[in-house]
Amino acid sequence: MTNLFAEELTIAYDNEVIVDRLNLKFSPGEITAIIGPNGCGKSTILKTMARLQPSHSGAVYLDGKLIHKTSSKEIAKKMAILPQSPDAPEGLSIYELISYGRTPYQSGFSRLTTHDCEMIEWALNVTGLSSIQHQPVDTLSGGQRQRAWIAMAIAQETNLLMLDEPTTYLDPAHQLEVLKLLEKLNEEEGRTIVMVIHDLNHAARFADHLVALKQGKVIKEGTAEQVMNADVLKQVFNIDTEIITDPRTGKPAMISYDLIK
Amino acid sequence: MNRVPKHIIWKISLLVVLLILAALASLNFGIISISPGEVLRTFLGNGTPKQKLVLFDLRMPTVILAVLVGAFMAVSGTILQGITRNELADPGILGINSGAGLAVVLYITFFKTSTGSLSIAHTFILPLCAFLGALLTAGLIVAIAWKGGFQSIRLVLVGVGINAGLSAILVALQLRLDPLDFTKAMVWLSGDLWANQWTYVYALLPWFLILIPYALYKAHTLNVLNLGTQVANGLGIRTNRERLYLLILAVALAGLGVSAGGGIAFLGLIAPHIARRLTGPKHLTLIPAAVLIGAVILLIAETVGRNVLAPVEIPAGIVVSIISTPYFIYLLLKTK
Repeated sequence: MTNLFAEELTIAYDNEVIVDRLNLKFSPGEITAIIGPNGCGKSTILKTMARLQPSHSGAVYLDGKLIHKTSSKEIAKKMAILPQSPDAPEGLSIYELISYGRTPYQSGFSRLTTHDCEMIEWALNVTGLSSIQHQPVDTLSGGQRQRAWIAMAIAQETNLLMLDEPTTYLDPAHQLEVLKLLEKLNEEEGRTIVMVIHDLNHAARFADHLVALKQGKVIKEGTAEQVMNADVLKQVFNIDTEIITDPRTGKPAMISYDLIK
Repeated sequence: MNRVPKHIIWKISLLVVLLILAALASLNFGIISISPGEVLRTFLGNGTPKQKLVLFDLRMPTVILAVLVGAFMAVSGTILQGITRNELADPGILGINSGAGLAVVLYITFFKTSTGSLSIAHTFILPLCAFLGALLTAGLIVAIAWKGGFQSIRLVLVGVGINAGLSAILVALQLRLDPLDFTKAMVWLSGDLWANQWTYVYALLPWFLILIPYALYKAHTLNVLNLGTQVANGLGIRTNRERLYLLILAVALAGLGVSAGGGIAFLGLIAPHIARRLTGPKHLTLIPAAVLIGAVILLIAETVGRNVLAPVEIPAGIVVSIISTPYFIYLLLKTK
């Protein structure tokens, strides 16, 4: 089980501090959802903890090792990160895209091994893309495209999967499809999943652990019941909410909200 | 899917055939026409002394140089388009043409070479000047554009700026040249395969044999860089370092290309484009296709330029531009 945590992490852009001495830990085997208003630093924290951007001070540890002292390739064997709305070059097929997920295991002229091919086949199957594997990614619908990218990330064969807004730009059915896929990967494969997500009801429904952020600080973290309540949401988003228990899922759900003037 | 799809192998084979045909045509046509049969006979050692002279000392080195220069420019463009993720990038944005051009014009200005015939020393020093000029300019552009890391938009903007500045200096200097030198500089700047001697072939061939395989070795890295910086970083590619290596490779290729070929502008832009249309975005097949297309285009341009208004020769670079301009406009219209 892969363990990732940040200790006294400070992130700054051009001397403007975005995140100040953050301590954050993602529990192995769980789905963690990071929520918070626009500009609160959710994506920045995710990217910094995934070594995609530098930190100002503090440390991020992956399995007990300092992340900036670990080779990028080693990290890529333990942690996959899917940035927000990635873009594939024109004409690249789904199969080829997924095969790039095997990059951390390859070197030089990089021929795919039998094991590489097995992982690609598995990723195709689990995301339901086998029948269209030769289609170019740029011709797919939004939902299919997102599944193709997730397939690339899971072909990377890492225990930890980080996703930045994986449901953005998708219709309600496709959003649910992506989230259920992540849930399945978590339940059946025991993968640790960390995602930044805007839809609060989805966060409450699918995450074991929620982290509510505001201005780079953790306001509240815990189970859906602990985080999805009127007090916390007022403090984090400055909204007045009506929360009920969703009869379908048994989780808290927001049925209505208004701005606080 | 380790195997290259059949249709791609087929297309690349077709390009090889095309290259051979273009080479034969280039050997055939000229003020002295030598038929394919006579070419073969001369190769087998049975040609007349005149045919031998024309084939071995004039046309063969030209053909091989056109292939080498075409390949260098095409692969340089392929790499640049790959690392910037910008399909309109070409070696010109690195200031290769203007830098090399300025160095050559400066050299002519200071040493007044062309009033007589070029001495032996000058024929060697001019390509070296061009190469160093290209390298210095590209180095300057990369150094200014590099801000803690690689940003393709910075590279393009700095490239445009430096290019404009150098071109201005170039024009100012050219206007002070005497007419004969001016003509010479113009011909060079338009991309004349001026260095058509075996010496240059021997100088460039080793680089071809080292740099093109190295580019192929980096094909997978280029593929992953094409997914964007963040995705590539996430997959364990050290994008800044890889981009810098590839940038140096592109600069070296283009520098070698202009040193022997002059300012052949469009080739590095259109050859990768046509190649991408034929083989798709994977660099392991894209690079060989670009090599072949670059070589074919330059060979055809050279042959056409030498024959169409004979005995007046049109620089190959101008023919390339004439051929490519409609394609370029078509490309812009199609770009979303």
